[in-house]
Amino acid sequence: MDCDKCGDEAVMHAAYSGLHMCADHFCRSVESRTRRRVREDNLLPDDASPDDPETWLIGLSGGKDSVVLTQILHDTFAEDPRVELVALTIHEGIEGYRDESLSACLDLTDDLDLRHELVTYEEEFDLRMDDVAVEDPMDMAPCAYCGVFRRDLLSKYAAEYDADKLLTGHNLDDEAQTALMNFFEGDVEQMAKHFDASLGAFPGAADGDGDRDGTPTRVSTDGPFVPRAKPLRDVPEKEVALYAQLKDLPAHITECPHASEAYRGEIQQLLFDMEERHPGVRHSIMAGYEDLAAMAARAYRDGGGPEYGECERCGATTTRAVCRKCSLVEAVQTAD
Amino acid sequence: MVTVEVVGEETREIDPETLGTDPTYADLVRAVDYSPHEVSVLVDDQPVPEDRAVDADYVRVLRLIKGG
Repeated sequence: MDCDKCGDEAVMHAAYSGLHMCADHFCRSVESRTRRRVREDNLLPDDASPDDPETWLIGLSGGKDSVVLTQILHDTFAEDPRVELVALTIHEGIEGYRDESLSACLDLTDDLDLRHELVTYEEEFDLRMDDVAVEDPMDMAPCAYCGVFRRDLLSKYAAEYDADKLLTGHNLDDEAQTALMNFFEGDVEQMAKHFDASLGAFPGAADGDGDRDGTPTRVSTDGPFVPRAKPLRDVPEKEVALYAQLKDLPAHITECPHASEAYRGEIQQLLFDMEERHPGVRHSIMAGYEDLAAMAARAYRDGGGPEYGECERCGATTTRAVCRKCSLVEAVQTAD
Repeated sequence: MVTVEVVGEETREIDPETLGTDPTYADLVRAVDYSPHEVSVLVDDQPVPEDRAVDADYVRVLRLIKGG
C-alpha cells in the first residue's frame, strides 16, 4: 500500500481520514497536529519575549506520550528564546517500573540537553506506591491515591519553578475516555472544571471574552493553580506510540504493575469498538464535548470558580481545610 | 498458516482462510482478540497499515501500553 502523499510504502492507515501515510508523512502529520494545537490553544502569548520568556513544565514520566510530547516541543521551541522547557519526572516508588522509565527520561533529556528535575513520593510524602497498594487504607484503587499525589507534586513544582504552564502528554483516547466518563456520570460541573483546567484556549490580548479562531477560551483559569494544557490531545494513542517507534525515542513500554482503572478500561473498550464501526467517533466526541464543556464553564464558572484557601497542614491550594493529598498521606501513615 | 506473536504475551497460529476472503492485518489482529486500535502490526519489524491484505507468514503484534 502506498502513501497518499508521496507514493512511498505506507506504514499506517488512519480510518478516520481515509489516509495511508509513509513514515515521513505520518511523523510530519503528528508534529503539525501538535503544533496546530499549541497555536489554537494560544499557549504562547503575544507578550512572551526573550527578556520575559514563558516557562513550560512538562510532566515527563518516560512513557510514550510524555516522551513524544517532550521531543516535539523541543524540536519546535529549542531555538525559540521566548520559551524555556523544563521536564519533571515523579518517582512514585514502584520497584522496577519507574526505575526503568526514569532511565528513559534521562536518556531523552540528556540527548536533548533539556533541564530535567526528579522528585519522589518517598522524599516528599515518606511513602512508596508499592506499600500504598498493599495497605490501601481508603479501600481505593492505587491509581486514585497516585493521581492525587502526582497532581499535588506537579502543581507544587510548577509553582516552585515559576512555570507559566504545565503540559502533559494526554492523547485523544485519554481525553475522549474522560469526556465519556463525565457524560456517563452525569457530571456537568466536572465538564466545566475540565474545560477551564486544561481544554479551553488561553485568551489572547485581542480576543476579549470571545472565542479564539473558533476555539472556545477558558472562562476562568483554575484559581491559583498553574494552568495546564495537553498539546497531544488531537493525536490518537496508537499514533503517539507509532511516532515513538518510528523516531526510535527512548520510551518505556511496560504497564504499571498497580494499574487498575477498571471503569476507564471499560470505556476504552467501548471506544475501540465504536471507532471500529464508526471511524472518527473519538474526534467527534471531543468536538462536541469541548463546545458543551465551554457552555458548562460559562454557566458554572462565570463568577470565577470556587473559593480557594490554603491547606492548614502543607499550605497547598485547596477548597478544603486539609487538602486531599494530606488526608491520604495521613491515612497511609496511620495504617503503617 | 500465519504465526502471530503478541509481544510479551502469546504466539498463535492463525489460518487466514478462516478469516474470510482477502483477510487484512486488522482481521488477523481481531482473530487474536485485540482491537486494531490498541496494537501496532509489524512485518519484518516494520509497521504496516492494518487494512493491508495479509501477505506475510510471521507477524508481530505490539500492544499499546497505557500511561504517560
